[in-house]
Amino acid sequence: MTKYKVKISNRGNTEYEVDDKRPILDELRKHGVDLPYGCKYGGCITCAAKLTAGNIDQRRQVALNNWQLDNGYVILCVARARSDITLEIGTESHDKLYRNPFLEPLKSYQLKADIASKEDT
Amino acid sequence: MNNLCCGPGYASPTDAINAPSEKLLYTIAIYTGTGIQKPDYLATVDVDPDSHTYSQVIHRLEMPGIGDELHHMGWNACSSCHDDNSMSRKYLILPGVRSNNLHIVDTATDPKAPKLYKVIEGAEIKSKVDLSGPHTVHCLGSEIIISFLGDAKGEAPGGYLHLDKDFNIIGRWENSMGDIKFGYDFWYQPRHNIMVSSEWAAPNTFMPGFDLEEVGHLKYGRELHFWDFEKRKPIESFYLGEDGLVPLEVKFHHNPDSTHGFCGAALSTNVIHWWKDNDEKWQWEKVIDIENEMHPEWPIPLPGVMSAILVSMDDKYLYLNNWLHGDMRQYDITDPHKPVLTGQVFLGGLLGKAPKVNGVEVAGGPQMFQLSLDGKRLYVTTSLFSTWDNQFYPEIREKGGVMIQIDCDPVNGGMKVNPNFMVNFGQEPNGPSRCHEARYPGGDCTSDIWL
Repeated sequence: MTKYKVKISNRGNTEYEVDDKRPILDELRKHGVDLPYGCKYGGCITCAAKLTAGNIDQRRQVALNNWQLDNGYVILCVARARSDITLEIGTESHDKLYRNPFLEPLKSYQLKADIASKEDT
Repeated sequence: MNNLCCGPGYASPTDAINAPSEKLLYTIAIYTGTGIQKPDYLATVDVDPDSHTYSQVIHRLEMPGIGDELHHMGWNACSSCHDDNSMSRKYLILPGVRSNNLHIVDTATDPKAPKLYKVIEGAEIKSKVDLSGPHTVHCLGSEIIISFLGDAKGEAPGGYLHLDKDFNIIGRWENSMGDIKFGYDFWYQPRHNIMVSSEWAAPNTFMPGFDLEEVGHLKYGRELHFWDFEKRKPIESFYLGEDGLVPLEVKFHHNPDSTHGFCGAALSTNVIHWWKDNDEKWQWEKVIDIENEMHPEWPIPLPGVMSAILVSMDDKYLYLNNWLHGDMRQYDITDPHKPVLTGQVFLGGLLGKAPKVNGVEVAGGPQMFQLSLDGKRLYVTTSLFSTWDNQFYPEIREKGGVMIQIDCDPVNGGMKVNPNFMVNFGQEPNGPSRCHEARYPGGDCTSDIWL
């Protein structure tokens, strides 16, 4: 078991130690951090946070498209830390999570992984 | 009430129309996705004009956890049990779309202050029947079926959960999903042994939010399905194409002998009408087509987004919403092939035609609605789904949702906002919440079915 540090930049840079085998959401909630969540399997985006430093593994998430991934979003209910990381949490971090799909349509490479094209990248 | 000896509901739609007026209604209100770390709740709203707390939330029943996203709900029993005096309309079932939990709420012991009776845990449903993303609740006699839009991993098409009257899981209701790609709403008409179901998308597609490109990639539905209700399997599907993009709510006539029904195709913003013809064949046609509107800041015309439809208890009027345009409409469907527009009001919306209603700035547009049994009072709320609200109406975070009441003329047609009614969920004690579907204790226009 490896432990990493999670720094939460929009909560006074508080730091918590997390187990790399367990979802970051569960680990932070165990430390008493009040975080939003919904489905708890990586499908619904409610628990999204923004990763500003470090590495994570979120292969199990199915909610984010490539545009959201490129903006640093992480689905905390399935993501595991792979290094010390820095996060912005809560809806304050959601400035680039939601877009009006008619005003800002996605390019084909910005769609979800299963339907995104590779040509434009 | 002339049926004290009997079970729940009414002997016929005509009896329902003549029932006493609603004095209370229940609506769900969500904090999921709003940034407020509180449970979603069931709000009791006083709708008795003679009460001193008229047009106020008078009770809030919080769910046990956060993040459910309460959405639609349904009764344990309706008029389909009218001749079963062992049944009563006592429990309201509140599914959490994201958590998969089913909350069973006792509304009868104290109608003003409902209590949580039981929770069927989402994990139990996933492990026993491989379903997630619950949506529509209907009772069938003394049993209950609930449409789920995905399997345990959130992939389409999901299926139907079957509960007994004591809320034990029996298993999957359907014997087959056939070639159905997606699930959403359903309604059945037992005298014709028919059920009709519609299509939204997989939970993994719609829960994170809406992308137009995903419609093109066939991640959203465009078909209606007709089922052999007794055999519990689909028998015929209609491909609606561009006229039926994202077919959501389905409603049969309340008259149990009728084969006519309607579906609102949300993205195409059309009403689809179906019926059984003289050769016993099911037919469909588009009967209402809401044109897209130009918006000064939008590069493409703005679709209405018809997320809900409702048929009055006398089967005379169909109500629909255009969530993005901001209007509620009433159509006379006396001839179901030729609806006639008879009423329209604007409430919020992106076109800026009614930014304020009764002095309150409206975030969102008309979305869910419930009509009184007598057809005179339409209660309308403004939030669609947390992630979709956040995309189209981000200001709803600060402003919350509202419930508005429209006075409807069930004789000559026409709609106007009741100036004395406004429930502003932006002023809730824990901060702005968003209200969605509404139900009355005595039954309503979107739940009762007659055998």
